[in-house]
Amino acid sequence: MKYTMIIVTMLIFSGCSSKLVRVMPYEKENFAMTKMSLNPLAERSEQEGHILLIREASAGGDSSFQGGCGCR
Amino acid sequence: MKKILLLVVALSLGLFAVGEGSKALPFNLKSLSGKSYSMNSFKGKVVLLNLWASWCSGCKKEMPEFYKLQKSMGKNFKIVAVTIDKNSADAKSFLNSVNKKTGMKTPFVVLHNPSKSLARAYKAKGMPSSYLIDKKGIIRAVIIGSLNHNDIKELKKEIKKLK
Repeated sequence: MKYTMIIVTMLIFSGCSSKLVRVMPYEKENFAMTKMSLNPLAERSEQEGHILLIREASAGGDSSFQGGCGCR
Repeated sequence: MKKILLLVVALSLGLFAVGEGSKALPFNLKSLSGKSYSMNSFKGKVVLLNLWASWCSGCKKEMPEFYKLQKSMGKNFKIVAVTIDKNSADAKSFLNSVNKKTGMKTPFVVLHNPSKSLARAYKAKGMPSSYLIDKKGIIRAVIIGSLNHNDIKELKKEIKKLK
């Protein structure tokens, strides 16, 4: 009875196994898409920085170093 | 009885992964050109089974190295590249770009496995994953991640031992 309980418990908890919950490396096809990246417009970041520079009339306004207020 | 039950439970939990010393798993897949291949097609040869995809940057990085490896190792060694891309066109277009870059035609068999069943069966822990299989069909090395030029040099030594 004791062993049966252990086996049943193990089988129930196998549903929570990391193998079932985790996205396996070979299933990451959609995650690998450019639009799924944290910065999907990376190629455009230079242009965007340039536009921000003109708009704010200040260099560094697009970085975390400055506040982006144009009062450098 | 208790031991059998525990074994059944262990198997159901997937505790026995495919690794070094275990037998290579059977498959029956079509190549990008439509020809059917199984594990038996490579019987008596040292095989490097490579699981890759065109969306995987590491896989793309190591592919030109595999071209050179196949060319340098001769007939008793075969690279079997299994792409898990949904569309075979993506794999073909990437391989065409490598062909242009290296000036070679793909020197090994490329199989298409869109259902990813082989990667699932091998419980691949990373992309790319490569399995060095000896002439008897036993896995001798499991390589997770992409191989650089130096890694290929080491791999060549292992292949020569098995040939």
